Amino acid sequence: MNEIESETTKLSSDKPYIQFQNVSKKFGNFTAINDLTLDIFNNEFFSLLGPSGCGKTTLLRMLAGFEKPTNGRILLEGEDISNIPPHLRPINMMFQSYALFPHMTVEKNIAFGLKQDKLPSNKINQRVDEMLELVELTEFSKRKPNQLSGGQRQRVALARSLAKRPKLLLLDEPLGALDKRLREQTQFELMNIQEKLGITFIIVTHDQEEAMTVSSRIGVMDSGNVIQVSTPNNLYEAPATKSVAEFIGNVNLFEGIYKGFDDIGTKLKCEHSESIVYSSQSIDAKNGSKIWLAVRPEKLEIFKSPPDYKYNILKGTVIDIGYGGSFSTYHVKLPNGNMISVIRANRERTSEKSITWNDEVYLHWSSKSAVVLTE
Amino acid sequence: MLSKYIFNGRNAVIAVPYIWLLILFLFPFLIVLKISFAEPIIAIPPFSSFFHWDGSFWPTIQASFYNYVFILEDSLYLNAYLSSLKIALISTLITLVIGYAIAYSITKAPTRWKGLLLLMVILPFWTSFLIRVYAWIGILKTEGLLNLMLLSLGITDQPLTIMNTNLAVYIGIVYSYLPFMILPIYANIEKMDGSLIEAAADLGCRPFKTFWKITIPLSIPGILAGCFLVFIPAVGEFVIPDLLGGTETLMIGKVLWIEFFSNRDWPLASAVAVILLAMLILPIMYYQKSQEKAIS
Repeated sequence: MNEIESETTKLSSDKPYIQFQNVSKKFGNFTAINDLTLDIFNNEFFSLLGPSGCGKTTLLRMLAGFEKPTNGRILLEGEDISNIPPHLRPINMMFQSYALFPHMTVEKNIAFGLKQDKLPSNKINQRVDEMLELVELTEFSKRKPNQLSGGQRQRVALARSLAKRPKLLLLDEPLGALDKRLREQTQFELMNIQEKLGITFIIVTHDQEEAMTVSSRIGVMDSGNVIQVSTPNNLYEAPATKSVAEFIGNVNLFEGIYKGFDDIGTKLKCEHSESIVYSSQSIDAKNGSKIWLAVRPEKLEIFKSPPDYKYNILKGTVIDIGYGGSFSTYHVKLPNGNMISVIRANRERTSEKSITWNDEVYLHWSSKSAVVLTE
Repeated sequence: MLSKYIFNGRNAVIAVPYIWLLILFLFPFLIVLKISFAEPIIAIPPFSSFFHWDGSFWPTIQASFYNYVFILEDSLYLNAYLSSLKIALISTLITLVIGYAIAYSITKAPTRWKGLLLLMVILPFWTSFLIRVYAWIGILKTEGLLNLMLLSLGITDQPLTIMNTNLAVYIGIVYSYLPFMILPIYANIEKMDGSLIEAAADLGCRPFKTFWKITIPLSIPGILAGCFLVFIPAVGEFVIPDLLGGTETLMIGKVLWIEFFSNRDWPLASAVAVILLAMLILPIMYYQKSQEKAIS
């Protein structure tokens, strides 16, 4: 965990590009953003991740200038932009609905922003051609948006928002309307474009896999605030709270009582069993207080006979097996009724000793693979 | 098998309005068309008959194009047509400017006010059209409310002559047809995707320019619908020029009325009506086409 943490601190030593300082936004009685403070750095691919209604889109709209913060300040390169109207901000946004102008061709859509800057027409044409090439839509330049497929529209929207060469690009659920295969392909295209142009990207998404794939850092949001800001890897392996652990990927949680720390690690006594389980991670908690131990499904091992380990062994029954091709997911029921999921790679094509329904199995994890969490 | 197709419930529902249109629009029009080819006579009804049965199975048709030739040769009618078109066109443009402003403001109003504002637009329909036009006489005449107000405020020292002029006709038409302009434009702007306006602002477009570059072009279907709904009935308008207009006001609706009721020349009046319809068929067809395009 420590190596990952240092990466974040290295970034923090730079001057932040965008700063939210104690920003709140209220719509009537509803608080969309609650006293939020967040720094985003130059050249980052930053994701705002959270369930719908967590305030991530509101945050993005405040950056674009469509909403004014009720309290607090938003700084861009150290300058307060809270009161600058959207058309004067050096920020461009790619809308969730793409918001392509239906009465204009692809070409005119992309040129729209450039025309507002009163650039000479040969310069505009040159830039439009460049953008069309970037998103590989050159032969579609004369079409209207309704003559394009969803994926093509998405790329026109991207080209239009990049045409003015903004220093900061905001993307509101940019891939939400695409099907799975196209979405995955476009994720990598977005990453390439971001690297190529060296623009800071801030993307709003509710899809944690997407956020993990594309971002350099993720801010996990819930009910109007950022719970944790970190690299995808760090969020997954070292979530700060139980809710982050649950939101990012799948996790098995064991509720228990904190029993101190010894040479193996943090001791946790599970509620419904006599055994003590361990995590090598330490935690700031009082003896006897309620904590959780979290293990990701792929970090659990599954055995048909008792393995040769001294601790972190649980016995259960296989209830369900989900075959996923490259891996299988086992749902194992513990004696106390809890369901544990285990992911195992299918290394062999067929296996005679394979685990099947209703088998008695033993689960084990290394104490290094588990994290302990408070609420 | 075939009857099963034709007499199902769905077709029956669609058939009702079409039968209605057939009986109350198409047949009367055919009758008017027939009369327009007749000659005026002193009788009841005051025109010669179109079909003559002289023993054979098929009737002989007696049609004369005299009325049409007469209308085309007499410059009075041509002028009346042109003047009607001009008055209707100018009124439509004024109605468009006012109507667009009102429709746009309603879409920008807080949601809780919208219903009330729209209700106010259609509220005049609760009173008879005729009474509302009459009411304008009370406002516009020399000793009317408008002049009374202007004089007492000291804005003018002579009462303005508005009544019985073309200006009064314009005021009457704009007032009467305004809701027909507001409603289609409102419906169009209301359903416009707000993120387009935000996207324009995001790309550096000032609000006023966004209005011209995005809002107006995208509301063209609404504008066209409103303009046709005002222009087409305004061309043939009779009540407003008759009540508010003066001797200078030349409109085909008035000419038609005079031919019909004062001169009792039904064939000529019918011919005037048929030519008016023929003139309006082009804009009506264009309107139809634009509506079809808007739907698809």
